[in-house]
Amino acid sequence: MEASRCIPCISLLRGILLIWFPVCCLLGQALSSEMGGSADSNSVNRDANPSCDFNQFLTQSYYERFNSLDDHDFDTFISLEIPCGIYEVLPDNYKSILEVSNLQRNLIGEGSHRQLSTSIKFQTQPANSVSERISYSCQLIILERLPSGVFADPFELEHLVQRGVFRDVAVFGDTNLELPSFLSNRSAVEIHLDVDPNILDHSADINLELPLHARYQPLNESGYSTVKFGNPDVIVRCSTKENVKNQRCFFKATSDDTNMNGDDIVWRIPCGRKAHAQLVSTFTFVAALLSTIVIVCTTSSCHSNLRLYKGRKQA
Amino acid sequence: MPTINFHSLLVFSVFFRVALILYGEWQDTHLEVRYTDVDYLVFSDAASYMAVGDSPYKRTTYRYSPLLAFLLIPNSFIHRSWGKFLFSASDILVGYFIHYILKKRKVPENLSNYSVMTWLFNPFTFTIGTRGNCEPIVCALVLWIIICLMNGYVVQSAFWYGLVVHFRIYPIIYSIPILLVLDPSCFQSGQKPVLRIWSAVEGDKPKDGDKCCSLYNLLKSIFTRDRLTFGLISGGVFLLCTGLFYHLYGWEFLHEALLYHLTRTDPRHNFSIYFYHIYLNYGNNTSMVERLISFLPQFVVQLVLIFSLAQDLPFCLFVQTVAFVAFNKVITAQYFVWFFCLLPLILPWSKMKLKWQGLSCILLWIGAQTHWLLWGYLLEFKGKNVFLQLWAAGLLFLAANVFVLVMTIRHHRYASIFRSVEHANSKNMAKLK
Repeated sequence: MEASRCIPCISLLRGILLIWFPVCCLLGQALSSEMGGSADSNSVNRDANPSCDFNQFLTQSYYERFNSLDDHDFDTFISLEIPCGIYEVLPDNYKSILEVSNLQRNLIGEGSHRQLSTSIKFQTQPANSVSERISYSCQLIILERLPSGVFADPFELEHLVQRGVFRDVAVFGDTNLELPSFLSNRSAVEIHLDVDPNILDHSADINLELPLHARYQPLNESGYSTVKFGNPDVIVRCSTKENVKNQRCFFKATSDDTNMNGDDIVWRIPCGRKAHAQLVSTFTFVAALLSTIVIVCTTSSCHSNLRLYKGRKQA
Repeated sequence: MPTINFHSLLVFSVFFRVALILYGEWQDTHLEVRYTDVDYLVFSDAASYMAVGDSPYKRTTYRYSPLLAFLLIPNSFIHRSWGKFLFSASDILVGYFIHYILKKRKVPENLSNYSVMTWLFNPFTFTIGTRGNCEPIVCALVLWIIICLMNGYVVQSAFWYGLVVHFRIYPIIYSIPILLVLDPSCFQSGQKPVLRIWSAVEGDKPKDGDKCCSLYNLLKSIFTRDRLTFGLISGGVFLLCTGLFYHLYGWEFLHEALLYHLTRTDPRHNFSIYFYHIYLNYGNNTSMVERLISFLPQFVVQLVLIFSLAQDLPFCLFVQTVAFVAFNKVITAQYFVWFFCLLPLILPWSKMKLKWQGLSCILLWIGAQTHWLLWGYLLEFKGKNVFLQLWAAGLLFLAANVFVLVMTIRHHRYASIFRSVEHANSKNMAKLK
């Protein structure tokens, strides 16, 4: 198990965003009318407001606008497309309960199949009135942008959902499990976890492990290819229990105050060496040729023995 | 050797497989590592799409005939293990067919039962059916085709042959030996072909001048009624299936179920000696010469085996399949079942003693495989760069396969499956006099 590494702090420009349902709906309508002209096969909820569904995947909205995963586009999407327009302000104490104080990242395991573990610690808060806290139900949304070279198996993740590890999970982008990395595009994973704001008061840790697999890497002289992971986007989506429709908010739980430890997570994946090409090709074909000769000789000699024997018998 | 009863063997095998399937269900639910094969989940998902009228090819990595998804539709409404029970039933059916074939050729009961045990109790075979792999169905079809030929039902064998080639492309390599075996001297209208019965006598070579196939003989009588019937019916069935499913599912069907298998080059590590060569050259355009060179060993070996051994049909099919798998661009463990189902058919004619010839073949083959698996484990689960060593282990595995082939051919008592009818008749008349 690798020791935990530090992740650099995220940009000062991203703050905590608060979005209320009416604004979501307005934006949703704006987005869907914009998408009207694109060749999008997902036309099921074109006229509905995607962001208004509590189970909607944010990344799906991203992919409805963009064709492939690009870090700059995604950052812009997170910052601007989830609007911070006219909205009601959440109670301060509630907002601060759900701020992440610490985010630890780790890559567990060896070989081509590993787990990306994320440990999220929320800020401890002084006691608040019980009635305020239990009125909200929240969902933690972790947006993991996977680097090129690794992928998540959607069927494996579905199995985890069935076992209750996650509330919901989806993979977007290139989901081809078989192609090597130089022939595939990046993918993104969105994980939904149910979070009870009441338990956060005891500064609980939320740990999640995302199983990932390495693709075949392009050839490299050193024999290993390195893949670096960035930071996930942690978003909290809450709704009140009394009136789910009217009061819902998204906000980015990580801020300037979040302690995210140091260096990037790095995964070393073995890859082929170009220098081997000549040797391997030559000996592969020599082996095939030799095997062919041996089999042909054996068969022919047995066959001719047979004919010789029959010839003698008939004579 | 202690005597064994075939029916008790069969009953035990049935119970054992049922127990394994139940265990598999338990393991899937309670342990992290699944017992069920990933492919089974692919089939099940494709079947559930089909059950609602959709294309099974909506499920990514479903690369089989729609017939398979059709067979597994009950997974959606009876129980998700329906497919496993179906595959295990085919597995048992293969055992029954082997017994039938050996009995028809009058192999002594004990020898026959021991041969059947090499299928029923082979760890490869009982795990493959119970884990949800569809290969037992293909094996059952191949054996049924042999049975139809033995009983002289050319039309029926042609129908099933067309179907099995549609289901899985590899049986196409059996087309020429089957056509060769449909010799007019053995297959005459109105008469069942006469089978050559098993004989324990060493060196009991065919005395009745059965035609060892040669290119000359083949060309002389290539267009016989039976051969034409077989070719036309099997070709027709194959084209009908292809046409029907193309009409239903379009280009996706053609690509996933047919073309993918014909052009498959997988750079990911597998038993084949070609995997590293493919990975190192992936993305580069391979010239026609290169492609020809890589296909030539397979082609030459198949032709030589066919034209030397075709009359001993089960043996020919067995060695062809071993060679085909060994020289293929991609080799996965499930391909081994293709020749394991034919192995019991040739064992009664083998001169190899278990000690030490037979054991050396088994140990070398399993040893080479285990050696490869060790390097594969280091690469995949420990992340070490051992591509070169893994490739070398693949070369060793090819050598082990060639060794087994050579030993099998050299120690085989060649016995054509049919006897020519005139000589059988003249022999009978000589007996009567």
